[in-house]
Amino acid sequence: MALHLNLFHEIQKTKALKRRDPLKISFYGLAAIAIAFAGYYFLQLLQMRTLVEELDKKKADYDKLAPIAKTSKKRDDDLALKVKATDDLIQRIEGRFYWAPVLEKIMTVVPRDVQVIRLSADLPNDGVQRCAVSIDGLSAGSDPRKVAEQLRTALADTFKPKFKKVTSTFRTLEDGTEMVVLDGKQVPTATFAIALQLYVTDPTPEKTPTRLRR
Amino acid sequence: MKLGKEEIQKIVLGVLLLFGMVYSYFNLLLGPLVARQDAYGKSIKGLGPLTATAKSQIEKTKQMEKEAPTVAMTVYQVNAMIPAGSPVAWFPTRVADFFKRRGIDKVTTRLNSESIDKRYAGYRKMTWAIDVPRVGFVQFASAVAALENEEPLIEITNMQIEAGREDVETQHVLLTVNNLVKQ
Repeated sequence: MALHLNLFHEIQKTKALKRRDPLKISFYGLAAIAIAFAGYYFLQLLQMRTLVEELDKKKADYDKLAPIAKTSKKRDDDLALKVKATDDLIQRIEGRFYWAPVLEKIMTVVPRDVQVIRLSADLPNDGVQRCAVSIDGLSAGSDPRKVAEQLRTALADTFKPKFKKVTSTFRTLEDGTEMVVLDGKQVPTATFAIALQLYVTDPTPEKTPTRLRR
Repeated sequence: MKLGKEEIQKIVLGVLLLFGMVYSYFNLLLGPLVARQDAYGKSIKGLGPLTATAKSQIEKTKQMEKEAPTVAMTVYQVNAMIPAGSPVAWFPTRVADFFKRRGIDKVTTRLNSESIDKRYAGYRKMTWAIDVPRVGFVQFASAVAALENEEPLIEITNMQIEAGREDVETQHVLLTVNNLVKQ
C-alpha cells in the first residue's frame, strides 16, 4: 500500500476556516434581513404615496367646497333670519285676537232687562294669550240679582265652545237704590260687575302648595 | 466544533450589527413612515365629514333659496300695506277716513308710544289711542269687524266702551291699537 501524503492540508484548512467565517455568515444574514426590510419599507412607501394622493384629492375637493359652503352659510343665515321674521310677521297677523266676534256674542247674550253701562276689555301681556273683559251694568226685574246671574252664566256658556277656558265671575253684585220702569211696571234694580276671562291658549296649571313635613 | 476566541468576537459583532440594524430600521425608517401614514389616514377621515357638511350646507342653502321668493313676496305684501312717510302724518287720517266710510265721525287718533320689537326686523310697533265720542254699539262692532279684516297690521289691544250719559243709545269708545310701520 502506497503512502499518501497530503502536502496541501494547511491550505485546505485555511480555506475551510474562511468558508465558515462567522463574520461573513453574519453579513450574509444581515444582508438578507436588510433586503427583506427594504422590500417591506418600499411597500409601505407605495401605500404612503396612495394615501398622499387620496389626501391631496380630498383636500382639493374640500378647498373647492369650503369657500362656497362659507358663502352659503352666510346666505343661509340671512335667509333664515328673513324667514323667521316673516314667520313672526305672519304669526302676528294670523294670531291676532279678533274682537268683533266677542262684541257680537256679548250683544246677543245681553237681555233687554240689562243695561251695560261700561265694557272694558284688554289683552294682558302676561304670557298667556287671553282676553280680560269687564262688564259693568244694571239689571232690572222682579229679581234683578237673578237677571244678573243669568247674564253671567250665559256669557260663560256662549264663549265656552270658542275658547280653551272661560271664567265668568262677579266682581260686585249689589241691590240698586233706584227703581226703573220696565214693561210699564216699576221694578227694582241691581248693579253688577262681571269679570270675564277668555283664554285663547291653555293657561298654565297653578302650582299646588306642597304640604310641609313636620 | 469548538469556536475560537476570534470567532466568538465575530459572532458578537454580528449580533450587535443585527440589533443596530433592526433598531435603526424601526426607529428611523419604518416608525416615522407609519406615523405619517396614521396622520394622513386621520386627515383623510377628518376631511370626509367636513366635505359632507359643506355639501349639505350648500344643498340646504339651495333649498332656502327656493323658499326665498315666497318670503320676499310676503314682505313685499306687508310693505305694500304701509304707506310711505311718517306714520303720524298718515295713520290718524287713515283711521278717520276708515270710520267715516262707516258713518262714524269725529274720530280722533293720537300716538301713545312707539317701540321696536326684535321679532319684527325692519319694522317698529306704534301704539295709538283712537277716541270715538259717539257711536252706536252695532255700528261700532261692525266697524271693528271691518277694521280687523281690512287692516291686518293693526291689532286692538284694549277697548273701553261707556254708555253715553245723555243719550243711552250711543256709546263713547276708546280703542288702543298697535300697528307695524317701516323702520
